[in-house]
Amino acid sequence: MEKVKDALDFTDFSGVERFVLVVFSIFLLAFPWLGAGSFVKAVMIQFLLFSLFGMGWNTIGGYGGQVELGKAQYVGIGAYTVSVSMVWWNIPFWISMPIGVLIALGYSFMIGYPLFRLKGHYFAIATICTSLVLQDIFTNWKLVGAAKGIELPIHEHPDFLYMQFKSDTYYYYFIMVLFYIALFYMNWFRKSKLGYQLRMIKDDEEAAESLGIDIRWCKIKAYSIASAFVAVGGGFMAVYNLYIDPVSVMDLDLSIKIALMAMLGGAASLWGPIIGAAFLVPLDRFLGSWLGGHKGLIGVDFMIYAALIMVVSAYQPRGIWGIVEQLRGKGK
Amino acid sequence: MSRKQILFVFVLFLSMVTMSSALFAAEKEVKIGVLYPLSGAAATIGRDLQRAAELTAEIINNKTPGVDIPMAQWGGIPNLGGAKIKLIFVDHRGEPDRGADLAKRLILDDKVAGLMGAYHSSVTKTVSAVAERYGVPMINDSSTSPELTKRGFKWFWRTTPHDDYFNRDLFELLKGLTEGKVKGIPAVPKDKLKNLAYACENTEWGSSVAKSLEGYAKEYGFNMVKGILYNANSPDLTSEAKTLVAAKPDGMLFASYLSDSLLMIRTLKGMRAQTNFFWGQNAGFEMADFAKTLGADINGVLTRTVFIAKLIKVKKVAGQINALYKKKYGDDLTGATARSVVGVQAWAAVLNKAGSVDPKAIQKACNEINIPANELVMPWAGVKFDSTGQNVLGRGLIGQYQKGADGKIDLEIVYPFDLATANFIYPFPGWK
Amino acid sequence: METLIDALLQGILMGLLFALVALGLNVIFGVMDIVNFAHGEFLMLGMYTAFFTSLLMGVDPLFALPASALMGVLLGLASYYWFIKYLLRGPAIAQLFGTFGLMLFLRYLAQFLFGIDYRILQKGILIGKSFSVGPFIFDATKIAAGALSLVAFAAVYSFLNKTKTGKALQATALNKEAASYMGIKTDKMNAIAWAIGGGTVGVAGGLLINFYYVYPTVGLLFVMIAFACVALGGFGSIKGVFFAGLLVGILEMMFPVFGQLVGSDFLGPHFKFTVVYLAYFIIVVFRPQGLFGWKK
Repeated sequence: MEKVKDALDFTDFSGVERFVLVVFSIFLLAFPWLGAGSFVKAVMIQFLLFSLFGMGWNTIGGYGGQVELGKAQYVGIGAYTVSVSMVWWNIPFWISMPIGVLIALGYSFMIGYPLFRLKGHYFAIATICTSLVLQDIFTNWKLVGAAKGIELPIHEHPDFLYMQFKSDTYYYYFIMVLFYIALFYMNWFRKSKLGYQLRMIKDDEEAAESLGIDIRWCKIKAYSIASAFVAVGGGFMAVYNLYIDPVSVMDLDLSIKIALMAMLGGAASLWGPIIGAAFLVPLDRFLGSWLGGHKGLIGVDFMIYAALIMVVSAYQPRGIWGIVEQLRGKGK
Repeated sequence: MSRKQILFVFVLFLSMVTMSSALFAAEKEVKIGVLYPLSGAAATIGRDLQRAAELTAEIINNKTPGVDIPMAQWGGIPNLGGAKIKLIFVDHRGEPDRGADLAKRLILDDKVAGLMGAYHSSVTKTVSAVAERYGVPMINDSSTSPELTKRGFKWFWRTTPHDDYFNRDLFELLKGLTEGKVKGIPAVPKDKLKNLAYACENTEWGSSVAKSLEGYAKEYGFNMVKGILYNANSPDLTSEAKTLVAAKPDGMLFASYLSDSLLMIRTLKGMRAQTNFFWGQNAGFEMADFAKTLGADINGVLTRTVFIAKLIKVKKVAGQINALYKKKYGDDLTGATARSVVGVQAWAAVLNKAGSVDPKAIQKACNEINIPANELVMPWAGVKFDSTGQNVLGRGLIGQYQKGADGKIDLEIVYPFDLATANFIYPFPGWK
Repeated sequence: METLIDALLQGILMGLLFALVALGLNVIFGVMDIVNFAHGEFLMLGMYTAFFTSLLMGVDPLFALPASALMGVLLGLASYYWFIKYLLRGPAIAQLFGTFGLMLFLRYLAQFLFGIDYRILQKGILIGKSFSVGPFIFDATKIAAGALSLVAFAAVYSFLNKTKTGKALQATALNKEAASYMGIKTDKMNAIAWAIGGGTVGVAGGLLINFYYVYPTVGLLFVMIAFACVALGGFGSIKGVFFAGLLVGILEMMFPVFGQLVGSDFLGPHFKFTVVYLAYFIIVVFRPQGLFGWKK
């Protein structure tokens, strides 16, 4: 109970932040009724999905300060578990998704244990390598469709058990619920014992160790939490797109996108990943679809995207949220 | 001007105002959403596909002299009151989830009558799933994964033959070789052809080609001694090529994109690989850059295709549309772009038959359509869909790169045997 | 046996090139503690430079090498002075993403300028030539690339160990503060590191264009291997990156041959780089500072 109270307690934020949160929540709730087109709706779903990913990444990457670049493998685990169990055994989404999360958790402990012997850049590159290895395995694993991926059967009638709906609005509300669960969880997490320990580790590992904190164990726990978050998102991707393949759910690009959005918005802050996703997802989708038709402008959208990343990382390493705080005179 | 006349003009004006909505309706458009990879790794091909589709829409929308098919004289869809076809192009970049989002946009926001595309089989999968969910017809012009039409979809039709057709063509050719049916050479004993090896790139396309090749090899009594899947983005294909050579096959079969096909052939040449023939499953092997880059090295290499510029000798329509395309963009039509032409043609024919943009009517029209062979740029027997939505009248070609008298490398048709334009070169003449 | 030796030799040739690609990454890392994600894009631009120099000026791609080296140096310096310098204020993680942004920017700039077509050189003294020694056949271009990358390695190695600037660079790598007390300007050393980093990878690009094609995203393939090489050998270790490069090349070539010998289709070439990544992971777990690393 205490935990739930903590999770719902936003009182340590400023009035403005709380006001924005309320307005934003009302907007999210009302969004499908505002008459936006379906493409905008699809972009909103992407935005919520990537916020979810980013918030997950934030546990280990933001609060823990570990450069984690292999989250796509857990997206893949979540997505593949849901798809495989639906195609082979006709298991409903609501059972297969938790199983996917459990597998992701188990796998993350297994791999996290050796992984967290490493520090800094060795760790960063090792996370990329493990993700690439898993992707290669799935690309060649005939049982799960290898490179061809898996197609989920389309149900003729909407089916809540299998999360199959005709209208995107249902998917929208579903991912919105997940988004809020993640947000409340993160709100609790940042105030939890583990949250404090992680920040201490990030600031000074030796000092944290001398205080009797089991550094490796803390990191593994944070890593696993992040993996669980991401696996949920992966399960959602499977039922939403109805088709997955190793490139779309396990690619290095996806790992980097996840970390990038959280970083750009502002790592180690509750709002950071959301802000990052709110910037990059629409930029990617709208600019891309607008410029895509214009010959001669191929690549310009990504140049703008890249320039934004460069400017923010050079100007304010704490991301867009850092800039906001700086403007409000709160930053260093 | 008399009063009567003024009255007449006034009445005319009034009736025009009231009729204008109806008139406007007569001048209306039919929107078709087209999804192609216009940026990203496949942007070059995407751009060509877009051009071919645009050109075809122009031919149908305006009365085009010099193209001898009824469609070119329509000036719009006759049964829809001369409505023009309007193609809305969107760019999916080869990403399945982006394709799905864009398909929703086309269906719900742009309210298109139907979809076409999407080149990549993986994107076609998600796009057709969206189309199926919303009950909007999709005609696929250029994705060749056999599985696409094995899903029991009700809103998906495909004009192009799929990879199973093409792979069977290869084995028909080999069978023809052993029976002495091939133009220009006597029968080859089967034990000289028996052992085959393949190297396919390991995405959706290559791996399904690999599977299908193995199936047909068994069916036709050939022996697949080695099969490898490789990563098309590999910085080096030496070990792949070595594996192939070590198996000492009588023929090497490939499913490669452009970059890896170049690297593969160069690597094999570097090893002075010896075998009786090379066959490529389209894609890389069929692109203009393949011949441009490798030059005389590929004299004798086979590629599956659906359209070869030489076809204009035997097919009039192909020559006429090719001439228009070449005039406008400077290139000949290729297997990919010609399929895009047929895709738009199929849409026009279907819309005309349906006489309505109602999805149900289009669905019915698709299931009943029968476009005769002489209206297509392709050497096909026509377009007619079976119950799975696959065009059963399509067929593939096998071309062979041959060095002409002028020293230039050209693609000649060697299969089907009745269309052959040159003598078959066998065995592979060796590296220069 | 023959196939094994053959694979070993081919592996060494590829390995030398992988090592050269990774060298610059490691020099920059050693001096500044920055992992440069844009390294692959430097390689790509080096390849384009050699490609266009060779094509437009009609010189053999081998003689276009100085142009791509120069391009690399300029690129390194420009990136450092105009961008990387500002990143240094932030934490390591922000630096990483900064260079990641640079990578995207250069990649799509190249796409904008040169288009997405694959380009491969068709003419050159060595292109398409091969010769045999006993039962082994070698690509002339790969022999040249291997030999020249050995030369480049030797040059960088002797520069670092024989010249005063090189020693100052090493001092900075060891301890920035101490070196700056002794009058070594960190800023200048950083710039030199970026110049060397860019220059060597530019050369690697110039060598690569002899037998590989160039397109805007070609860098990613090589940079991942370079990352594994650098981390495997140990961040900051020149010797380490050399041997790690060789190891990666040999692993990549030997693995499929090994699979063939044991008659397993499973251990085929489709896993050749998987093995490299896996090897990195396993080695580094037991030796968290890499094979030759001294920095943790």
